[in-house]
Amino acid sequence: MIHISETATRRPKVFFWLSGLLSLIMISLVTLPSVWPTSFGLLNPLQIDTDPENMLSPDEPVRVYHNAQKKEFALYDMVVVGVVNQTNPQGVFNKSSLTDIHALADFATRVDGVISVDLMSPSTVDNIEPGGPGVVKFEWLMKEPPVNDAEALTVRDKAQNLPLLNGTIVSEDGKAIALYIPITAKNISYNVVEALKSKINEFNGDDRYHITGLPVAQDTFGVEMFIQMAISAPMAMLLIFLLMWYFFKKASLVVSPMIVAMVSVITTMGLLVITGNTVHIMSSMIPIFIMPIAVLDAIHILSDFYDKYPQFKDRKTTIQHVMKELSAPMLFTTLTTAVGFASLALTPIPPVQVFGLFVSIGVVLAWFFTITLVPAYIMLMPEESFADFGLDHSEGDSNSPLARTLNGLGRVTFCGAKMIIVAVFVLAGVAWVGVNKIVINDNPVKWFSPDHEIRVADRALNERFAGTYMAYLVLEGKEEAQLSQFADGLKLGMQSHGLLELIPDVETFSLEAKDAKELVNLLVQKIEQRMEIVSDEDWDKWDVALTWVGEYLGRGETFKNPDVLRYMSRLQDYLQSTGLVGKSNSLSDVVKTVHRELFMGRATDYRIPESRGSVAETLITYQNSHRPQDLWHFVTPDYKKSNMWLQLKSGDNRDMSALIDKVDQFIEDNPSPEGITHNWFGLTYINVIWQDKMVSGMAEAFIGSFIIVLIMMTFLFRSLWWGILAMIPLTFTISMIYGFIGLIGKDYDMPVAVLSSLSLGLAVDYAIHFLARSREMRKKFSDWKETSVAVFGEPARAIARNVIVVGIGFIPLLAAPLVPYQTVGVFISAILVLAGVATLTILPALIRSFESLLFKKDVT
Amino acid sequence: MKNIFKLFLVLSFLGAVPAAAMDVMEVVKKANHVSYYKGDDGRAKVNMRIIDAQGRERVREFIILRKDDGDDDGKQKFYVYFNKPADVKKMVFMVVKNMDRDDDRWLYLPGLDLVKRIAASDERTSFVGSHFFYEDVSGRGIQEDTHAIVEENDSTYVVESKPKDAKAVEFTSFKSWIHKATFLPIKTEYYDDQGKKTRSYTALKVEMIGGHPTVTAASMENHQTGGKTLMNYSVVKYDVGLPDNIFSERYLRKAPRKYLR
Repeated sequence: MIHISETATRRPKVFFWLSGLLSLIMISLVTLPSVWPTSFGLLNPLQIDTDPENMLSPDEPVRVYHNAQKKEFALYDMVVVGVVNQTNPQGVFNKSSLTDIHALADFATRVDGVISVDLMSPSTVDNIEPGGPGVVKFEWLMKEPPVNDAEALTVRDKAQNLPLLNGTIVSEDGKAIALYIPITAKNISYNVVEALKSKINEFNGDDRYHITGLPVAQDTFGVEMFIQMAISAPMAMLLIFLLMWYFFKKASLVVSPMIVAMVSVITTMGLLVITGNTVHIMSSMIPIFIMPIAVLDAIHILSDFYDKYPQFKDRKTTIQHVMKELSAPMLFTTLTTAVGFASLALTPIPPVQVFGLFVSIGVVLAWFFTITLVPAYIMLMPEESFADFGLDHSEGDSNSPLARTLNGLGRVTFCGAKMIIVAVFVLAGVAWVGVNKIVINDNPVKWFSPDHEIRVADRALNERFAGTYMAYLVLEGKEEAQLSQFADGLKLGMQSHGLLELIPDVETFSLEAKDAKELVNLLVQKIEQRMEIVSDEDWDKWDVALTWVGEYLGRGETFKNPDVLRYMSRLQDYLQSTGLVGKSNSLSDVVKTVHRELFMGRATDYRIPESRGSVAETLITYQNSHRPQDLWHFVTPDYKKSNMWLQLKSGDNRDMSALIDKVDQFIEDNPSPEGITHNWFGLTYINVIWQDKMVSGMAEAFIGSFIIVLIMMTFLFRSLWWGILAMIPLTFTISMIYGFIGLIGKDYDMPVAVLSSLSLGLAVDYAIHFLARSREMRKKFSDWKETSVAVFGEPARAIARNVIVVGIGFIPLLAAPLVPYQTVGVFISAILVLAGVATLTILPALIRSFESLLFKKDVT
Repeated sequence: MKNIFKLFLVLSFLGAVPAAAMDVMEVVKKANHVSYYKGDDGRAKVNMRIIDAQGRERVREFIILRKDDGDDDGKQKFYVYFNKPADVKKMVFMVVKNMDRDDDRWLYLPGLDLVKRIAASDERTSFVGSHFFYEDVSGRGIQEDTHAIVEENDSTYVVESKPKDAKAVEFTSFKSWIHKATFLPIKTEYYDDQGKKTRSYTALKVEMIGGHPTVTAASMENHQTGGKTLMNYSVVKYDVGLPDNIFSERYLRKAPRKYLR
């Protein structure tokens, strides 16, 4: 390592040329395929990934199931448009608003990528109602806009009378309307929304249109991610530059760490893109992580150079000296940071893995550029420019407020060592209380700041409607019986129904058929052949047999069983009573509603009819509508699998988890007819799954990297005690941060979860520098009392400068528009400052208290 | 496509092509006649396979009885008796097609023991969950649209029809490919206001039955939802001598076995 630094000092220009060339290659490799994707098809263009599903890998069973169910029940991602009117006492149910809404829905059906047949709006859904005595009427709910306000209210009343529409299309207070616009693919949502917005701009009523829905959130997310990278990262760069300029007073000199940071960021992001990885919420934070870390080592070099230059008055000798002194701690701090981040690769969340790996790569690259480019840069500067370098510092630096504070701190740690240790124990106790209070929860919509239009729309819609967060509960009938079992059951049934003549046929066909359905088909054919030639009297008899056989097969259709539908209704009532579900929609609601309308709309007939046949009749009646395919969102055509659509007002994982538990409990307490099994899908559910994986995965990753770093420390210091000592500040810091999170009631969410591994790699750096320098210096002095004064000189200043530069370097994340960035910014800064303080207080206090143990070898 | 080709082969044997050019209304009337008014009455067993976009299939089987009120291709009656699936067996759908007013439609649901009139608000809704509309089954009145021959070749007229009351229907126009020799529409395509094809009907098989060229297999495809329904007609008979009284509410509950078996 010293060797390569020396090479760099001998050939400084070559290293700069090479770094420049590398950056240029990286930039072209990313730009060319991104700008001209067709001409550079072999290269990977820059790809933005905002799909929360990607928190799970594509072959994750939960995700595979999710997509399979979406397909099977023909469900699509939806853009939701909520229309609210707060000036009209009838809300949007007035002539003019409904005319606009009608026009918007009509417009939406023509927008490219909209699945017009599944669009849900007052003008595209069906109304079923009694149309006078003995008459049932199917019609579009609002085929034409109303001619007056009174007619508008009729539309409202009709919609509110239909359980599937009330709370979904029409708000519960009867004043707002929501349109659900399914789209073919998430990535076209931007165009769809822009088209809708331009149409909405044509309206001049006083309605407010809130556009939301997952695809919209994702698109907005992508934009905000770029804003973060385009604003926060350069701002961090500028801030770091200004701080270093303040510390080293020489702008031309501090340019070198900036170059290091820039080349490291370009190379790392370039590698990320050209290896085909996507820019995700996590990976978009890579630049802002690499930048402060990249300047860390450079600050140590410059700091030491700044102090040593007056001694040697020659840049080459000074550099050699500095590199000799710092090479080991720099290598180790780099490795520990890299290990800390690389441990994220052990989590089961792909975007977190990519983030961890590439920050880790970036850290190593930054180290390489630091130990080559910084010395090379110094060599390129004319010797004269250092003339004034050491002069003002000898008094200036050691008299600066920072130096005086650190000197004072050094004395305090010596005299008040016991107090510090007691305080640490007390604080650790408080932290423990806080950690136990931690609530694990996340909600991707809350990644937007509270005043963001998506959050505003989210609140506006969830206040008025049953909920915009969707979860789907799949209920499945038990597996079909084996053919032989089925045949046995069939024969048994025939015996008790006086159909003995058919038993030989069953025996013959059960050998031929491959499944129950085929067996019955063969049997039916045989009966029908017989019926063609028999007398009228016999025909009736055979007709009964035919019906019986058909119905026997029909028993496999779980979700036509009235008992099953009633069970679903009970489950839905229960779900409603938990307060976690705004509304549930299922096949049983369809059956009950159609049944009621067939019986003159009487409220008492809002129930499941008694027989399978009656259920089948309500279902076939429902399919006489304009949208027969709507039924297949709730049940598969074989009636073996049903989908219950739950609308939740909260997208918090905590609430979804509670719901999952409640459903499990209900099903355990109330055994289902026909042995139904249940399973979940929907994004709200997926979020819970990746969160669970993240929590357990992060714990493993953290423990793993903690042990690795401890081993590395023990190796570095050739002592287990020193190794443990090095781990203490970061352990303390992490406990404090998580204790604090628990105490203030901040949710333990995705960004908070990754913090532990982030801080592990960074916080240990200070301890390494502090302990390495302390041990080095202790050799020159007789005891810790004298050593501590020296340690709280230059080494403590270097650490303090680092704490300030890096701690403040993350602050620009606060300017980012997305909450996770802000969370990371605040906590990383807090962690680094706290780790710095812990290093400069706890470590000297412990060394003072265990001096004899730690310096045993040296004493003897 | 292969089916269409076969169909043309069959059709070409069915009769000679008339030489004189025809008026569009004449073509439309004849097509209407051969599609819905052959003989005095008719009976067929229909097997309907409803296949959705995912290829999932459901089967319905019913007997359809028809009787015309006169020879003027006007009022007529349909009685549709369901055999399969077993759980809707005995369900009956009955239509009285009127010329001077909306059609009357009844639905008998045996399990619920209900006879319901279906309001005439819209006939362009799904026929028992299939891709055919009620109006496709009983026929759309030829007076409801304006017609024009837009294309003509040796074997077919292509007639474009546009609704007189555009708000009553979901299409903007439809085109029928009418076979010159038989006047059977062998293909019908419906378009929306952007000219996009939304639905298409295809006659898949034509047989000569009782002297009438008869479509015995047909499909209706919905290009928006992406599924199709196949109808297969078997045991087709004309001039059965169906009595008038079976097309009444009384016979909904007590199906006329004689004509259904």
